[in-house]
Amino acid sequence: MTLRMAWRNLWRNSRRTMVILTAVAVGVFSMIFIGALMAGVGEQMIRTSIATLVGSLQIHQHGYRDDPVVENTMEDPSEPQAALASVRMPDARWSRRVRVSAVAGNARHSAGVSLVGIEPEREAAVSFIGGAVTEGRGLSPGDPYGILVGRALVGTFETRVGRKLVLMSQAADGEMASRAFTIAGVFRAELEATEKQFVFVSLAAAQEMLGLGEGVSEIAVLLPDGADPDPVARALAAALPERYEILTWRELLPMLTAYIEMNDTFTAIWYLVVFIAMGFGIINTLLMAVFERMREFGLMRALGMTPGGIVREVLVESGLLLAIGMAAGNALAVAAVAAIGENGIDLSAFAAGVEYAGMPRVIYPALSFAGALEANLTVWVLGLIVSLYPALKAARITPVSAMARV
Amino acid sequence: MHLRMAWRNVWRNRRRSLLTMAAIAFACALLVFMLSFQFGAYEAMINTAVKVHTGYFQVQAPGYQEKREVRRVVENPAAVVRCLDTIPDVTAHTFRANAFSLASSEDRTYGISVTGIDPAREPGVSTIQTLVREGMFLEPGDGPAALVGALLARNLRVGVGDDVTLLGQGRDGSIAATVVTVKGTFSSGQDDFDRSALYIPLDYFQELYAMRGAVHEVVGVTPSIWAVPAVERRLAMDLERLSREKKTQPLAVLDWKALMPGLAQGIYLDLVSGLIFYLMLIIVVAFSIMNTFLMAIFERTREFGVLMAMGTTTGRLTRLLLTESMMMTLMGMAAGMLLGSAVTLYFEAVGIDFGSAADILRQYGISGRMHPVLTAPSLLIGPLLVCFITFWAALWPALRVRRLNPVEAMTHV
Amino acid sequence: MDMVICRDVVKTYQQGRISVPALRGISLSIEKGEFAALAGPSGSGKTTILNLMGGLDAPDAGEIIVDGRHFDRMSAAGLAELRLHRIGFVFQAYNLIPVLSALENVEYVMLLQGVPARDRRERARAVLDEVGLSGMYDRRPPELSGGQQQRVAVARAIAAEPSIVLADEPTANLDSKNGISLLEIMKEMNEKKEVTFIFSTHDERVMEYARRLVMIRDGRVADDVRK
Ligand SMILES: Nc1ncnc2c1ncn2[C@@H]1O[C@H](COP(=O)(O)OP(=O)(O)OP(=O)(O)O)[C@@H](O)[C@H]1O
Ligand SMILES: [Mg+2]
Repeated sequence: MTLRMAWRNLWRNSRRTMVILTAVAVGVFSMIFIGALMAGVGEQMIRTSIATLVGSLQIHQHGYRDDPVVENTMEDPSEPQAALASVRMPDARWSRRVRVSAVAGNARHSAGVSLVGIEPEREAAVSFIGGAVTEGRGLSPGDPYGILVGRALVGTFETRVGRKLVLMSQAADGEMASRAFTIAGVFRAELEATEKQFVFVSLAAAQEMLGLGEGVSEIAVLLPDGADPDPVARALAAALPERYEILTWRELLPMLTAYIEMNDTFTAIWYLVVFIAMGFGIINTLLMAVFERMREFGLMRALGMTPGGIVREVLVESGLLLAIGMAAGNALAVAAVAAIGENGIDLSAFAAGVEYAGMPRVIYPALSFAGALEANLTVWVLGLIVSLYPALKAARITPVSAMARV
Repeated sequence: MHLRMAWRNVWRNRRRSLLTMAAIAFACALLVFMLSFQFGAYEAMINTAVKVHTGYFQVQAPGYQEKREVRRVVENPAAVVRCLDTIPDVTAHTFRANAFSLASSEDRTYGISVTGIDPAREPGVSTIQTLVREGMFLEPGDGPAALVGALLARNLRVGVGDDVTLLGQGRDGSIAATVVTVKGTFSSGQDDFDRSALYIPLDYFQELYAMRGAVHEVVGVTPSIWAVPAVERRLAMDLERLSREKKTQPLAVLDWKALMPGLAQGIYLDLVSGLIFYLMLIIVVAFSIMNTFLMAIFERTREFGVLMAMGTTTGRLTRLLLTESMMMTLMGMAAGMLLGSAVTLYFEAVGIDFGSAADILRQYGISGRMHPVLTAPSLLIGPLLVCFITFWAALWPALRVRRLNPVEAMTHV
Repeated sequence: MDMVICRDVVKTYQQGRISVPALRGISLSIEKGEFAALAGPSGSGKTTILNLMGGLDAPDAGEIIVDGRHFDRMSAAGLAELRLHRIGFVFQAYNLIPVLSALENVEYVMLLQGVPARDRRERARAVLDEVGLSGMYDRRPPELSGGQQQRVAVARAIAAEPSIVLADEPTANLDSKNGISLLEIMKEMNEKKEVTFIFSTHDERVMEYARRLVMIRDGRVADDVRK
């Protein structure tokens, strides 16, 4: 009954209701849509970073993270391998790597790079490099002289597949080791920085060049999408001696973690700002509706309705108004996300800017249930709170004062 | 009288008008603050980038910017300086030369960029001198001395007074090898830079890398970034003439945007996405406002009937209504600009603490507290945008009176 | 000379599916300087014919000529112009613009006519004095009684120096004493300024003031008496 009455009251002035509904719908739409864009950027950045050799978590020798040099490699990876086998991690993949800073050079150019020794077949399941080779071929297991180089580096070095590239780095014995590789393939990456920073050789080649024996710098573990790395990290820590350090991507990428947090804060602020902008309209519309019906409220009071009853009446009306607007806003946002979802928003026009900010080149909005719920609750709860003002105004009417108003 | 009428109509329903103006004021204040904030951030980013890294513009050999090869040099930097000296807006300039080299300490080796700077002129162009954390900045006459990025020093495990071996390739392809002593370390807060930069005196650099008096960059400073385009045009012309005389390829003039394309585009991207956000916000506000105007008009239909009976044309009524809404908008705007400026000026003085996000901002050259900067554009752009959109939001209801017929309007209750 | 001529004026309102015939063929001519009353029971069509004479609405059939101008040949803007310069209105209630003072309400029409500010104010004061409202120039409508508001409306209607004033039940919301005094004022204006007055009423005492009484019944002229 109350609902039916509220519904009819809403449509007494349908134009006004439509306009305020549009305002609520646009507001809710912008909240959810922008929330989805921000979440999309964040998720993609995490995914790209995880794929760019970070993984869900990594096992190192203690000290490697602060000082990633040859001395801090794990001399014998069998212990962590055994731990990895013992800890239950459904669908997890892992791969061993050697990673050192090195200088790459040919006859005319040289540059500092990260030399990464990988197990090609295992690495393919863990990081981006498996599917990133666009020219030439990938590495074969134990490949002695093959090297994968980023497209951007190939460009600055004015070289191509089949040419030589000399890598120099400090070996385990402290002496400079150098080895000539042949460019086997060229890879592409989301960020140009990645293409300039990394060169890949086989694990065996790296170990031989650096005199590491069986030693590796890190073991990267990739958990299935969305899995929480913390329990696995704890289990591994329990299974391994103190010498080893297990770090999740959140710890490995403190900047990214801070960025995601900043994003979340920003989204929350955005919700609030949009709500305030909307709030003025909601109060105004309800006030108008209430003042128009002063006589009616007076009559209801005369018929024996309590002030509380009138407050409820007005709140039900505003709750209904908000709910309809929210439904429309949600539908719009879902439709927009679905429409954009296929191709994403292409920022290639700003390629250098996107690169500078470390953002993905194409943004795919990520609609999350929690994010949408948060937006809707913000609007609904705050909306009802501001509606209290007109509601209390209506409740304060006495039959006499209402009749006195013409 | 129309103005007076409009003014009084605005105050006929005080609460409603105040709420509407508050909505407008809120949007304006927010935009003033946000734009000042963004502009402040951009300014800090550009300033840091320009003052620490590139200068406002550079003269380089063609292709040097892309390839950064040692052999692409400015052969006769003195000639470039003679051109610069004739341009009054160039307030300072210096030479730099760069070479990729291996830097080794006793137990570490890293590939880094060695830069030769003129210790006497560099402080006029960049702020590197002020970034020195330990030891001292380079001085004229210094020989094999180096100023090292703090993170590089940490990675190399060297401190002031320690030796670093440099190994690179000279301009003529010869091996360049030497030992330099760390004279100081510096920290810009930008990790990538602090991890890979090492400065030595330009004279010493030229000797070491067999530069034969050539440099890679002539770095110039203008009073502000706005003066750059004019200087760039003038300089390009002068260099063109110079090259025709000598029958060589002209040198390239690059402004800070060309030197750091990522920075300029990143700012542009941020600005565009910001504008999209603001537009959405203003549209939400506009709908609230449209409702107010619509209601105000709806209530007064009878009155419009009387006005029309008296011979008021609908065009005049529309103008009256638009005047009313623009009055509200202007008052809201004024209040919003006042409030926005007050808040902005407060934070401009005090700064905003970004807590844990400060680390990220530092990478983009915003160190410590973030200071929004109130400027004429940041004060005006937002409110003008609001004004523009509310005008359209008010126009629709105002145009509705055209459809009114005086008899119907008067029977309206 | 005829100020207003109506020939076979027909007006039918459409109320949803039902047609409501308001005027079924009214022919009537009113001369310059007349003080005529339209009388008749509620719903007989008084308001309708006054609206048509004022060019506020258009007839379905028939012809209306006011001050020599054929309405059916005029545009909406032309009609607005004609109303502004030739026709004054007084309605039953809510005549005044609430945000303007008594003086400004009277000034308003002259403002639209483009009368210079000084003249405007002087003339408005003079007319207000004539309707007995000297000293109430600055009161806003809510601060005036119903009778005073109607007098301001009359003052406004004649201040523009129209050829004709149309008043639809100007006294209906007033008590009889106020109603009579409003009529006195209207009559005085009619005589002094030679303005044609046409007003509608269903009040017997008001009819007595008229020098011509047109009785309307069911959208037709039932009787036309000159006194
Ligand atoms: N806008 C309208 N829509 C439909 N019918 C209308 C409209 N205006 C008037 N009518 C009808 O036209 C007829 C004449 O109305 P009108 O208002 O002219 O009468 P009136 O003589 O002025 O009555 P009263 O003395 O009550 O004011 C009535 O039957 C009325 O119901
Ligand atoms: Mg009537």
